[in-house]
Amino acid sequence: MAATPSSKAKTFQSPNKTPTNMYRKSYLSPSSTSLTPQTPETLTPLRRSSRHVSRKIDLGNDPIDLPGRESIQEINLTPRKRTTDVVAETLTTPKTKKKKKIDVEASFSPISPNRSETITKKKKKKKRVYYNKVEFDETEFEIGDHVYVKRREDANSDEEEEDPEIEDCQICFKSDTNIIMIECDDCLGGFHLNCLKPPLTDVPKGDWICQFCVVHKPPPLQGKKLAKRTMREKLLSGDLWAARIEKLWKQEVVDGGCVYWIRARWYIIPEETVSGRQRHNLKRELYLTNDFADIEMECVLRHCFVKCPMEFSKASNDGDDVFLCEYEYDVHCHSFKRLAQLVDGDSDSDQEWNGGKEKEIDSDDEEESVCADSKSKRGLTGVNTKGRIFGVEKVGTKRIPEHVRCYKKNELEKAKATLLLATRPKSLPCRSKEMEEITAFIKGSILDDQCLGRCMYIHGVPGTGKTISVLSVMKNLKAEVEAGSVSPYCFVEINGLKLASPENIYSVIYEALSGHHVGWKKALLFLNERFAEGKRIGKENEKPCILLIDELDLLVTRNQSVLYNILDWPTKPNSRLVVLGIANTMDLPEKLLPRISSRMGIQRLCFGPYNHMQLQEIISTRLKGINAFEKTAIEFASRKVAAVSGDARRALEICRRAAEVADYRLKNNNKTAKSQLVIMADVEVAIQEMFQAPHIQVMKSVSKLSKIFLTAMVHELYKTGIAETSFDRVATTVSSLCLTHGEAFPGWDILLKIGCDLGECKIVLCEPGEKHRLQKLQLNFPSDDVAFALKDNKDFPWLANYL
Amino acid sequence: MGKETPAEKSLNLIRGRLCDPSYVFRPLSASSDSNYSKLKFIVSTSITEGCNNSMLLLGPRGSGKAAVLDLVVGDLLEQFPDSVSVIRLNGLLHSDDNCAFKEIAKQLCMEHHLLFSKMASFDDNSQFIIAMLRACGLAHKTIIFVLDEFDMFAQGKQRLLYSLLDAMQSVTSQAVVVGISSRLDADQLLEKRVRSRFSHRKFLFLPPSREELDGLFVHLLSLPADSGFPSGYVSRFNDKIKNLTSDTRFKDILKTLFNANSTVNSFLKFIFCAVSLMNLESGLLSLENFKAALSSMQRQPKLEAVRDCSVLELYLLVCMRRLEVKEQSSYNFISVMKEYKAIHDSFHTSDYYAQNVCLRAFEHLRERQVICYAENRGQSQTGEYRLQKLLISASELHQGMRSHACCPAILLKLLDH
Repeated sequence: MAATPSSKAKTFQSPNKTPTNMYRKSYLSPSSTSLTPQTPETLTPLRRSSRHVSRKIDLGNDPIDLPGRESIQEINLTPRKRTTDVVAETLTTPKTKKKKKIDVEASFSPISPNRSETITKKKKKKKRVYYNKVEFDETEFEIGDHVYVKRREDANSDEEEEDPEIEDCQICFKSDTNIIMIECDDCLGGFHLNCLKPPLTDVPKGDWICQFCVVHKPPPLQGKKLAKRTMREKLLSGDLWAARIEKLWKQEVVDGGCVYWIRARWYIIPEETVSGRQRHNLKRELYLTNDFADIEMECVLRHCFVKCPMEFSKASNDGDDVFLCEYEYDVHCHSFKRLAQLVDGDSDSDQEWNGGKEKEIDSDDEEESVCADSKSKRGLTGVNTKGRIFGVEKVGTKRIPEHVRCYKKNELEKAKATLLLATRPKSLPCRSKEMEEITAFIKGSILDDQCLGRCMYIHGVPGTGKTISVLSVMKNLKAEVEAGSVSPYCFVEINGLKLASPENIYSVIYEALSGHHVGWKKALLFLNERFAEGKRIGKENEKPCILLIDELDLLVTRNQSVLYNILDWPTKPNSRLVVLGIANTMDLPEKLLPRISSRMGIQRLCFGPYNHMQLQEIISTRLKGINAFEKTAIEFASRKVAAVSGDARRALEICRRAAEVADYRLKNNNKTAKSQLVIMADVEVAIQEMFQAPHIQVMKSVSKLSKIFLTAMVHELYKTGIAETSFDRVATTVSSLCLTHGEAFPGWDILLKIGCDLGECKIVLCEPGEKHRLQKLQLNFPSDDVAFALKDNKDFPWLANYL
Repeated sequence: MGKETPAEKSLNLIRGRLCDPSYVFRPLSASSDSNYSKLKFIVSTSITEGCNNSMLLLGPRGSGKAAVLDLVVGDLLEQFPDSVSVIRLNGLLHSDDNCAFKEIAKQLCMEHHLLFSKMASFDDNSQFIIAMLRACGLAHKTIIFVLDEFDMFAQGKQRLLYSLLDAMQSVTSQAVVVGISSRLDADQLLEKRVRSRFSHRKFLFLPPSREELDGLFVHLLSLPADSGFPSGYVSRFNDKIKNLTSDTRFKDILKTLFNANSTVNSFLKFIFCAVSLMNLESGLLSLENFKAALSSMQRQPKLEAVRDCSVLELYLLVCMRRLEVKEQSSYNFISVMKEYKAIHDSFHTSDYYAQNVCLRAFEHLRERQVICYAENRGQSQTGEYRLQKLLISASELHQGMRSHACCPAILLKLLDH
């Protein structure tokens, strides 16, 4: 247990040990080599203009949120007073540390983790009260807030004097708030518009770089600037820390008082990572680390705002303390990873994860979690037999690849990205009726006080939006649960194809309901008790359960007991179970035993294939705002797909492929780039590739003897009228063909090999070659295809006579 | 070991070239129309744009599907060293879903220096893979799944393909699935729900044209001017190659070869054979080398089997053939013996052997697969009563007997009537 904290302390210290000179180097390098990447287009212009607008608002109307100089000092001073009288014994603030002369190796860090451990041990019996929100020095702190944290003793000295919230103009060194200020994208210095030479009247669009950065000279009067550094500058130069509050609690101290603590998750500036500042890092970029520490509220200075790129570009209310965070940094493996919740767009999984974490620590068994931590660190990773997966979190890039950040997408690439199947559309056009029906069904089932279990069978060909409709209905319902209009329920989603065997569904359901993994027989027993007899599993309360089973047909076993059990539970009086089954076949209930079909077949919902209008609407809603496709091209693609299958996935893939084809065409000959749009021809190519079997092309290009072989087979087919022939006969025909047209007959064994090669491509269906003369052969494609492919052959014009 | 002679050195150089797919396929894939550049474009844009793709490489065996893919993957590994990992599966080895999942998990663990547990169950592995896909996507790493013999994965419930393709339907994952198959209808084998999730990029690999092959021939065999060979040797060697390519007899050899099989792979094999036969004293390739290579490429095993038969065996074969001509489609050893006896009675041949000797000859023929049992049933019966089939056609038998060293003339006559 002692090992982990000390290693933590070291990681804390290491950035300090290599102080300014190292970071200076890397910090300056981008501007000196002028390799600074372009900031993503969408970010900066919005950002800059919003900044000065917001500043006015902040200063004028909202003094609480962004306190002026006085209020900041208040925050800074008041805790210090308290520290002396209440927390003196706990020895935690950086100030008291030195006074008491306690030698802690990590003297620079706001608290030493070592000590926090001892404290928690000491206070194990003491009560901890957890909060979601704490008011501290007239400022509210909430879980998930971002704050500045004091870093070291000497940094305090200038903090006390002043904390300039409003930075000065880099030219006139005054902070006149009436004049619009512009921010340099390189050095982040502020400039009054009219101080510039020549003065600007408006904030320019795109990146703007100040005159000093243009000539790679630091702005004059560094000394003056240093005296009045803002918190942002201190943070970015490593004199302050930023952290996210993960937890808040109040802890009683020995002599009766109580101290507020937070569990902080540190942010790190690019300079402090192993790879240093990378070329594509933005100036205000931070990384979220996986490093936690318990610190006292006293160390917290005030709020700052760390945003994801999307919000950052729209940031409006926070002036100078806005930072951008897109990546997570693993301090042990020194690797980067995108923040998961940003990518997914929904924070479902994240919330659950938080919940689990809290439970763990609430029950005060921190030792266990530490053990698990150290175990995973030691390298006991990979797939664990108990079903828990270690080590996945270790995956990360050592450097964030440049192509990801510094790449400006053109219209075609944007179109490709939105057409990806993976991109979840914002709205689901053309399925509102079905979604209403599903919503009505689910609501009707769970809103009933009785909650009589029910079952619904949803069917339709692939790619008609069955699963996504149900999932979006569930998402809407979840929003309603949060709003309080619908009582909570639990939702279990299972895919039949992802189960190792149909019986495994019991254990999966049971695990989803209770969190424990048991074998399927035991799980069946428990589930029977739960649904048929109404016993509760564990702590679970009276919540209705919605079970979504995708690919239901995969659960059909020989005696169909799995399906029977699952569909039987809803009929039980106390089950409170709703089953939604999804499959492709329309008549699945009819194919099953009558006792199952009577339980399942009552309520059905059919997702018909999309027609071409609908497909067109789906594609164009995805492509809204992106000018990449000709209208006729979309229509052509959707008509084609609607005629074949009505599969939306297919239509999207065709369009994406067409965009790829167009992209390839334009990138290869950029001089003749007439239209940047995807045209009909591209769609035609994509459709050809997707729908046309390639056999004709192959037949055209196979070796000469193979062509004669195929001709002989067609000839044989015409002569006998029977599709199946034997190698014996084909070879005889080939030899007579060769003889009459003066070709060399290669011999039977070579001919056999040729036949087998054709068989391998499945142009010909054939038995294994060991049967030799007795081998049975049959054309796999219509003889017309062969005739079409071989008719105008230059090498053997006579082939046409036999086709 | 002594110093290599120039001949040995050039031999090693050329053999090295022949076994290096990148040397062979690089010139074939230079143009922007080639599969190589198209494939590279798609895979590299999937990496840079962070999207998922799935594609199929189709084409006859030996047309360089895997080699071109390896070229692309090698280039991309160089270009994006940190953000590409390749998982290779083969349908012949991993067509079982369970085994395939295990293998993927194992390779992922190796790639990321994690410990792989052999005990992990199907569920664990599939969860692990999905978690890894997600983690790699978050870290901007693309996983390329190469599924060789793709058609074998399309057997059974296609759970592997479904899970992979379904996992790729999320924004976080960043993966490319490349299927390689010689079956042209490989995508038709997919189940509907799998097919719907498949991106259907198809690359067709066709045998190269005659001109390309000629270019390849020179590219492979001409020695570089500045590589430490004696100066005279290089020019002599290259002149010889040039002479060969303009020789009509050589052209005929190539024509015979390409008539049967015009894929790159068979061409490489052919050259390898020829080069291995090179005369080390002169150190030059000759026409005879290529002739010998052709004949070793195009062997006729059945014909040779007939040529090596004993006279008694020939008698038996002729008897069987006669029975077939008499429209007696099924026969066993006993009926063949009857025919044999009839021939002997009517023509008074000198070669008459006892039944047990004939049985031995018969067994021998069967072991050499000149004849076989007509059906697999009736294994309880002893060999002589089971129905037999001739695996060799009349014309082959005829041709073989003609080239036989000591075939009695009467047999040829018997075969015709």
